[in-house]
Amino acid sequence: MPVAAAELDARLGTKDFHSRLTGGVSTPGIGRGLAAVRACMPHLFRPVADTAARSVLVAIVVVPLLAIGLAYWVSASEHVTGEEITLDQPVPFSHAHHVGGLGLDCRYCHTGVETSPVAGIPPTHTCMTCHSQLYTQTAMLAPIRKSLAEGHPIHWNKVNRLPAYVYFDHSIHVAKGIGCTTCHGDVANMPLMRQAAPLTMGWCLDCHRNPAAKMRPVSEVFDPHWKFPDDQAERGVILAHQYLDNKHLTDCSICHR
Amino acid sequence: MKATRTTRHSLHGLDPALDRRAALKLFMTGVAATLASCGRPPEEVVPYVQMPERETPGLPLLFASALPLAGYGRGVIVTSVEGRPIKIEGNPRHPASLGSTDVYGEATVLSLYDPDRSKAPYSDNRTQSWSAFEAALRPRLDRHRAKQGEGLAVLTGRITSPSMLAQFESLKRSMPQMKRYRYEPIDDDAIRNGTKLAFGRLATALPRFTDARIVLTLDADPIGAGPEQIRYARQIADARRAQVPTNSLRLYSAEPDWSLTGALADHRVALRPELIRNLAIEVARGLGAPLEQATLPDEIRRFAAAATADIQARRGAALVMAGPRQPAEVHALCHWIDAQLQAPVDFIASVDPDAKSHNESLRTFVSDVRGGHVETLIILDANPLYNAPGSLGVGEAIRAVPFRAHFGGFRDETARHCTWHLPLTHALEHWSDIRAFDGTASIIQPLILPLYDSRDPHQILAMLEAEARSPTLDIIRNQWKSAVSEKGLADWWRQTLHDGVVANSAFEKISLPTAGLPSLAPVTAAEGFTLALASDPAVFDGGMANNAWLQECPKPFTSQVWGNALHVAESDARALGVRDGDVLQLRHGEATLEMPALISKGQAAGVLSTTLGYGRTDAGTIGTGIGVDVYPWRNADSPWLIDHVTITRAGHRAELLQTQHFFDLEGEAEQLQPRLTLADLVGGKFQVERPGGNPPTLYPPSHDDTYKWAMSIDASACIGCNACVVACQAENNIPVVGPDEIAMGRDMHWMRIDHYVVDARPGFSPTPCMHCEHAPCEPVCPVAASIHDSEGLNVQVYNRCVGTRFCESNCPYKVRRFNFAGYADGQEYGNLGEDIAKAVFNPNVSVRGRGVMEKCTYCVQRISVARRAAEREGRVIREGEVVTACQAACPTQAIHFGDMSDPHSRINALRADPRSYSLLGELGTRPRTTYLARLQNPNPDYGKART
Repeated sequence: MPVAAAELDARLGTKDFHSRLTGGVSTPGIGRGLAAVRACMPHLFRPVADTAARSVLVAIVVVPLLAIGLAYWVSASEHVTGEEITLDQPVPFSHAHHVGGLGLDCRYCHTGVETSPVAGIPPTHTCMTCHSQLYTQTAMLAPIRKSLAEGHPIHWNKVNRLPAYVYFDHSIHVAKGIGCTTCHGDVANMPLMRQAAPLTMGWCLDCHRNPAAKMRPVSEVFDPHWKFPDDQAERGVILAHQYLDNKHLTDCSICHR
Repeated sequence: MKATRTTRHSLHGLDPALDRRAALKLFMTGVAATLASCGRPPEEVVPYVQMPERETPGLPLLFASALPLAGYGRGVIVTSVEGRPIKIEGNPRHPASLGSTDVYGEATVLSLYDPDRSKAPYSDNRTQSWSAFEAALRPRLDRHRAKQGEGLAVLTGRITSPSMLAQFESLKRSMPQMKRYRYEPIDDDAIRNGTKLAFGRLATALPRFTDARIVLTLDADPIGAGPEQIRYARQIADARRAQVPTNSLRLYSAEPDWSLTGALADHRVALRPELIRNLAIEVARGLGAPLEQATLPDEIRRFAAAATADIQARRGAALVMAGPRQPAEVHALCHWIDAQLQAPVDFIASVDPDAKSHNESLRTFVSDVRGGHVETLIILDANPLYNAPGSLGVGEAIRAVPFRAHFGGFRDETARHCTWHLPLTHALEHWSDIRAFDGTASIIQPLILPLYDSRDPHQILAMLEAEARSPTLDIIRNQWKSAVSEKGLADWWRQTLHDGVVANSAFEKISLPTAGLPSLAPVTAAEGFTLALASDPAVFDGGMANNAWLQECPKPFTSQVWGNALHVAESDARALGVRDGDVLQLRHGEATLEMPALISKGQAAGVLSTTLGYGRTDAGTIGTGIGVDVYPWRNADSPWLIDHVTITRAGHRAELLQTQHFFDLEGEAEQLQPRLTLADLVGGKFQVERPGGNPPTLYPPSHDDTYKWAMSIDASACIGCNACVVACQAENNIPVVGPDEIAMGRDMHWMRIDHYVVDARPGFSPTPCMHCEHAPCEPVCPVAASIHDSEGLNVQVYNRCVGTRFCESNCPYKVRRFNFAGYADGQEYGNLGEDIAKAVFNPNVSVRGRGVMEKCTYCVQRISVARRAAEREGRVIREGEVVTACQAACPTQAIHFGDMSDPHSRINALRADPRSYSLLGELGTRPRTTYLARLQNPNPDYGKART
């Protein structure tokens, strides 16, 4: 069934092409000739081709964006950051019990936290200050007793891991009003320790760009139950003014050497 | 061919091993596996079972100790992290350290973790046990003891340890016929014999350079490598700091080849070594000595006249000294001259109690063996088969002893020819004590338990004595018990360990009879070439040849690494048509030797010079086969000078590995290292800034609200000793690249010491990163890996770096270094990649991987430690709180680091000094590292006075 040339042109979008060919001048003779050719040729594209072409155009823009988004999502996902993953430990030490229940101070075990870059994992002797008297026969604590008896240290699985090129220092953070739970999460309710923050560079920088949002009074740093007050925005600014000497916390050399 | 055909075959799909579906399946499996496996491997935290006293994980501990060099101690402070000693710094309380170090001290930690260290007793071509050795030794010892020690001999190096000497005394008491020999290759025989000649007794002269205003060195190098280097260099630099011409020390130096002292001197002449005696006679005649006039070239005569006039004018503050290569008579004459001048020299009893000369001792040993008097030989920490003079036949003598046990840190040349080899502990692994060259005693305390099945020298001596074995700590404590009352011992011991110095233990000054005038006749210049030997500025006597940091440490003047060369005077080279790298054949009597030539401008004509310590055959993976061994050429009668040497060209060439030309700066030496005289300075001649000042700029201004770090380097004080270079290497985990990479023009040292020759006088310039305020490296980095921090540091972010090397091309100072391979991380040179060698790493500095640019960071880790400490305490960083590794090491305190934002800081005073200048300042880079121009104090009347 013959279709009007103009209609075909409109459908296939060849009008412009046609008029460009003819220099914009409508030459009926050529038009007629083309119509004749169209009339006897089969269609190159089916109507759905239009839809496909438009979809491809959209996809060219959307797919890379989605891919980037996916990459971001994957890189920030728990699979990559290790966040919220609970590792098995040789002894199922419970912070919920020792900190939340008994109310031990963080520094009882993590002795280096105020002076050293690393907070420190307690030596077997620290465990035995209590457990030489309490629960001396439990199977759960057998590795501790074995460690003391044989002089071999306990190999704990590391929960909060930073890359080797990051030189994080606990002592400066606790001295400047960054509380333990701000990074380590609600330790008092963790039966087994898990990583509570993504520990990505972006996450570090969020705070290094705006430390006031996460600062608390130095006296509250080791309080595992401390909550940010509703007016943290105002209080934080005061604390930052009070504690912070360094106005250049985003310098590369602050963390990398 | 076959392989190619097969490949093409399958490429064309004629014989598809995989169909399309299978290939796709495999591909998708790979993708899935990759995605699923990109988690990090698990890590463990391993706490202590019981925390050691004072230990806080993450914080370093510092311990005072002492390290031996040629038997004399230098006080050190050792940094230990979690039980690993990783860095050596000087002990300010110790007279042979004064808070600074030398290359050998800095490099010691690498030797501790050397994978080639001897790990177990060895005999009969297999590993043995200590008990097997004791079982073999005991019956022999019993037999010797029955004969009052006859047939038992002990050969050691120089021993100054009071405890060890006491052990020897006690051995001597139980076995009076036991023989002890001692030999140190870098000997001081002529110096000691000189005091015998002059005063009739053995004594050690200790010049006080701080009190001297005129010093004349005759082939002497008081600031060259050796146990006295740090102290004398500091004294001379301090004495030269005074900026009034009459108060500043003026240095005259006459020498056959270049020494560090000669480079620093205000007047320096090159003179054949045997003619130094004539110069000394000429100076003595000027002071009224009735000696025969000596023939000297006119130039030397002018030098002698100027020096004599100067020292006469400064009686009481003038000093003349000769070096170890000069014969005893010249030393005696110097003592006579010093006596006439009332020179600032103290005398102490010899710290080395052995009255015999080193070569004499060795000679006696050989004749005793030949006489059949030695049946059991104990060689304690000595390597005579490598470093004994060739003339003595020590090797044959040792091999003739039926039972010979070698105790040493390595299975070296001597160990290979002994029936037993037993591993000794490293100086950082045992208790001991040691005296410095001025007699000051220190307790050596262990920083780490012995890494291997080794024992310390005290245990060996106790074993010989067959006494009930007491721990070495008790041996040392018992030795010092007499120093204090029983009650105070515990406190005394703690304090002494803390200070690193036994209080008041320096030898007391002794008064000596007036030095007599030796009968000394002038000589005429020898015919032919004289070969002058010296200890090596990098590997010293060769004992540390397996230390890669020392092997790759560029020698002063030549920047040669990984080997030694024969230095030939320029005129001789021209006459012989010799170019750098031509191999020359040396002949002396029957002996021949082939060595590559290196032309040395300013060396005396007719003199060839080279250094000892190379050509080891059993040093280990690093040191074996590097350079040429000259020890066999030494003669016990004249160990340092070999005359009547003839040279011919061997007809082939050898590659000389030198580093300076890699980083040649563009410009004239006069501009790169301006020199001025004290007279200029007093006359106000020197301009602070180069003409033009700072050109306009588009760079943002630097921050004013924080610290502004800057460094100032005094080119006058730099003696070119390389301590800063190795200190930087130790502090910053800088890898060695090895000779092959050096040959390709690669080198990783962050700090280099350039030398510039102006008017035939070399001058040294330590060159770290300039930390330009307007750094040319920064705008060319496509990934912003080279970037400024707010405190003015030009930092390199390794994890951003993609290795374009644009920054390196754009750096006018050539201070950036690129990891062409994983020099520190996977592609280490030699055996430096073994696990134990990694123990030396500083945990506060990233270990850089392949493909990353790196450079001096101003020791940002030390700045960070100070900043965090200050911020924790709510204060600012104090002046002098940040000390960079190079600054700490420098024996002459030529390097100063500080905060420009503090208007009262010393760094601001130094930058405002009229001598201060910026390297290539006309480029407008505004470097934070600036220099103080090299200052000289020449005699204004030089060449005018006539005798």
